[in-house]
Amino acid sequence: METAEIRIGVYICHCGINIASTVDVDSVRDSISKLPNVIVSRDFKYMCSDPGQELVIKDIKEKGLNRIVVASCSPRMHEPTFRMTIQQAGLNPYCLEMANIREQCSWVHEDREYATEKAVKLVSAAVAKASLLEPLEEKEVEVRPEALVIGGGIAGIQASLDIADAGFKVYLVEREPSIGGHMAQLDKTFPTLDCSACILTPRMVEVERHPNIELLSYSEVIDVSGYIGNFHVKVRKKPRYIKMDKCTGCGMCAEACIMKGRIISEFDVGMGKRSVPYIPFPYAVPSKYTMDSENCLFITKGKCGKSPACKDACSSDAVDFEQKEEIVELDVGTIVVATGFDLFDAKEKPEYGYGLYDNVLSGLEFERLVSSSGPTQGKIIIGGKEPKNVVFVQCVGSRDKSVGNEYCSRVCCMYTAKQAHLVHEKLPDAKLTVFYMDIRAFGKGYEEFYDRVREEGVRYIRGNVSEIIKKGDRLLVMAEDTLLGEPVDIEADLVVLATGIVPRRDVKEVANLLKISQSPDGFFLEGHPKMRPVDTATDGIYLAGCAQGPKDIPDTVAQAKGAASSAMTKMARGKVKVEVTTASVDTFVCRGCGRCVEVCEYGAPNLEEVEPGILVSQINDSICKGCGACSVACPSGAISMKHFKNEQILSQIEAVI
Amino acid sequence: MLRKSHFNIRKFIYDTFDKDAAKVVFEREGIWDCTTCSACLKKCPKGVDTTGIVMGLRGLMVEDGRIPPPIRDALKSIAIHKNPWKISAEERSRWAEGLHVKNISEGGDILYYVGCTPAYDARLQKVARAIVEILNRAGVDFGILGNEEGCCGSEIRRMGDVWTFEYLAEENIEIFKKYNVKKIVTTSPHCYNTFKNEYKGAEFEVQHYTELIASLIEEGRLSFTRQIDKTVTYHDPCFLGKQNGVFDPPRKVLTSIPGIKLVEMDRARERSLCCEGGGGRMWVESEDSEDRLAKIRVGEAMDVGAQILATSCPFCLLTLEDVVKTGDLEESIKVMDIAELVKEAL
Amino acid sequence: MSEEFEPNIVGFACNWCSYAGADLAGTSRMKYPPNIRIIRVMCSGRVSPAFILKAFQMGADGVLVTGCHPGDCHYIAGNLKCEKTMGTTRKLIDVLGIGEERLRLEWVSASEGSKFADVVTDFTNRIRGLGPLSGKSQG
Repeated sequence: METAEIRIGVYICHCGINIASTVDVDSVRDSISKLPNVIVSRDFKYMCSDPGQELVIKDIKEKGLNRIVVASCSPRMHEPTFRMTIQQAGLNPYCLEMANIREQCSWVHEDREYATEKAVKLVSAAVAKASLLEPLEEKEVEVRPEALVIGGGIAGIQASLDIADAGFKVYLVEREPSIGGHMAQLDKTFPTLDCSACILTPRMVEVERHPNIELLSYSEVIDVSGYIGNFHVKVRKKPRYIKMDKCTGCGMCAEACIMKGRIISEFDVGMGKRSVPYIPFPYAVPSKYTMDSENCLFITKGKCGKSPACKDACSSDAVDFEQKEEIVELDVGTIVVATGFDLFDAKEKPEYGYGLYDNVLSGLEFERLVSSSGPTQGKIIIGGKEPKNVVFVQCVGSRDKSVGNEYCSRVCCMYTAKQAHLVHEKLPDAKLTVFYMDIRAFGKGYEEFYDRVREEGVRYIRGNVSEIIKKGDRLLVMAEDTLLGEPVDIEADLVVLATGIVPRRDVKEVANLLKISQSPDGFFLEGHPKMRPVDTATDGIYLAGCAQGPKDIPDTVAQAKGAASSAMTKMARGKVKVEVTTASVDTFVCRGCGRCVEVCEYGAPNLEEVEPGILVSQINDSICKGCGACSVACPSGAISMKHFKNEQILSQIEAVI
Repeated sequence: MLRKSHFNIRKFIYDTFDKDAAKVVFEREGIWDCTTCSACLKKCPKGVDTTGIVMGLRGLMVEDGRIPPPIRDALKSIAIHKNPWKISAEERSRWAEGLHVKNISEGGDILYYVGCTPAYDARLQKVARAIVEILNRAGVDFGILGNEEGCCGSEIRRMGDVWTFEYLAEENIEIFKKYNVKKIVTTSPHCYNTFKNEYKGAEFEVQHYTELIASLIEEGRLSFTRQIDKTVTYHDPCFLGKQNGVFDPPRKVLTSIPGIKLVEMDRARERSLCCEGGGGRMWVESEDSEDRLAKIRVGEAMDVGAQILATSCPFCLLTLEDVVKTGDLEESIKVMDIAELVKEAL
Repeated sequence: MSEEFEPNIVGFACNWCSYAGADLAGTSRMKYPPNIRIIRVMCSGRVSPAFILKAFQMGADGVLVTGCHPGDCHYIAGNLKCEKTMGTTRKLIDVLGIGEERLRLEWVSASEGSKFADVVTDFTNRIRGLGPLSGKSQG
């Protein structure tokens, strides 16, 4: 740093009367003007206004100021504003220091004398730090024009398509054999009653055909390193034991399998059966078979009849029991996390008898039952009969502290209304009752749909079901109608639980893998609840869909488009500014102990052998986030944090007391 | 409770928002009808401490002297005799006469805390005696407090008399300390619950006797010589099951007795139906005996073909057996404590 | 000014949670004693024992360090590192005769304006109760 004379300009803002009514601005200005290096000390009605900023620019030019202190509101408010101001006047933006005399002084204190004294101290500390501030060079790194999308539900599909359409390469990684996610399991969608498959399938096919999308199905991300612009990702491709290039999807293998019809279908949530070689559902993408290795006799026991029937049946020689897992390495600029949700396990609410009674179904099981692609081809048949009396129970696992889920799952009220409507449509004579706590019909067309369903004769009773017990071959649903304060008992042939949305079982591992955080509800934490809803605290990683919190399909698609757009913004520019207030190592002082390496959460410092036997820490600027932990940990004082150097903070402490 | 009485906890809670709680509880009927089984507490999605509120409101009644006579008598009896059954404290250890059981003052790894009802009630004394015989057979080094044993306070707390409860708790903790008690085994799930969850500053481990017997069987310290060829169902007591999550040890004990075929009622484990013996309800007679839950419960046991309805709580035993006796059902079903079955099979 | 002892308190607040929480106390116009002066750091994990010692040396009667709640750290676990560092620092200042109760670490989130005000008020009253740090050098 050049040893030019430090010339500080100090500007004290009145903020109308917000500051001036509690702090004696004139007195602060006069006290500060006496401090060393302070060339000008002024006050102004509104520093952030155009004339306020002009004043600073004019002084910098005319009086040769090279450090600026603005005493006004919180730096979290206007630091970017004034950095731009001084940059316009030719100063390095980091030659600015702010004193927060509004949020942390005038607004929280009443005594004018004390508040003024405190303001003087706060501004003095800012002046002290300003004298030691150093200009910092803003740096940019390249952003690779490739994106990774994790999860192939509707969120991941939408994000992939948007990014790919913009001309960037997309790697879409899906854990299951097919993309489609939960949306593929649904029958109709509320409130418009579009068939879910009809609106989803075209998008799935688009993904498969898109020249810019490389689909890695039946694969899992196992490692992520690097930083925005240059993430390095490892993906494990699980063996399908079926050659993708040979399989025609004809299904002869599944027909031939000796385990046919004996394995529970995940897609039909236990309500249908399949073979060992399977395709999750008819319109799966890719339309290729996968061998369920856990249930395959040949894979688990090494023997299946004389020779595996599936292998014999395949006319294109696609069955390959020698297949091994494969690790694929990818380099990407941005990542979209769209890992979705799990369904609440209703066994955690024993009073409903889920898992005990065959005629108590989860919301998703009912979707499969009512779906024309489901195990009954859409006929609502339970225990061999059409139910005459159907009860729906809302908020199962949502808004419920007793199971640790305080949040609302945001889809159950409407999917229950839709399911009630579907039963009404198929079984017009059935008696339908919904037990609810509150009805949340907040979306476009939702309240109208709810009204319609009620007009169709569905009875809504406000009250939580207290217990469901057996009564002959029917169920007795007991509750209190809390609007009437009376007990209600309903005999039902079928109970459908509106099971809520919970974070994925492995959400913690994924959070650790990506170094992103979770909110108290367990879902991934967004950058800001209002202003940065698709960002994470890690630059270059964005969130879409239920991975961030429960949401319906329209909101999921909107967020996916937002996440895609955020990723595209970085890739379109091709460069991104990286944190400048990073740590740096004085290589002469460093003795290579490695404490910084241990303490860093991001892997920014690395010990490098500069001469034989001499290790020195090197900090990668692009990875460093500027927390300063290494600087505290460094026993030899070799690491300093730019913009928050020891001497800068110590000078603040000295001045503030 | 809504089905049986005027008691609706929500009404009490809503009213206390804008009215003096004492006024609300004095004006409204039904506060003594709650059995404090905690089924609502366990389910409440908003974590409202319903049982705590009931106890608090009853406290206001007690403070103001507005107590139903049987409850007043029970409270008075505890103050005088250290038990709610109005029998002298000098007679507390009568049940153990002729049994090989030492006083804890002579040492022992475990304190067997008998409890008021098993100590004084002729029917329950059989259970206490059975437990002593079982522990002796397994070679457990244990002792009892004899006449020094006093009420645990569980029921009194639920009847709203927090002050006497705290006094009893302090006194009991002192006694336990005096004999350096590290582990307590109880007959009653009610004593178990209060020791485990409501004794502040307690430094001892608490077990229900079914837990101890289950572990004795597992360790091979108890073995059975006799068959009991019966179909048995088990009624989960609220204070052991849904309130403390002890579901498996009682079942483990039953299934290890040779010959017993354990069948489950529809309402088992967390879903168990309260027998109405808790929350001080042993001392107030239910007005509408037609609808007694115990009666429904016995019916449920018979529906699954049980010859024996087993339980592990003194109150459950009394309420259920009462239904069998008054309903002339003794030919069809028998109510027994698990300890009695174990003793019989030894 | 009044005759009563008015302590000097230095506060360190992390940029993401606690400094924002302090700002929220301001925007919500909550009131707390003016004795505290806050120095902004990016992370509570940046607060070095040297800063604490310097503050006491310069005449602070108390030091309040605030960071994000465990699990909420913008830098993953800087707050936990801070907790460790403050643990040892507290022992150190105790040995030095300053008294460990003059250093406090609190978790304040960006949404806890009222907690920030409460913590500052409570800490100021505590330090006021403890009286001036004896043998302090006037800064």
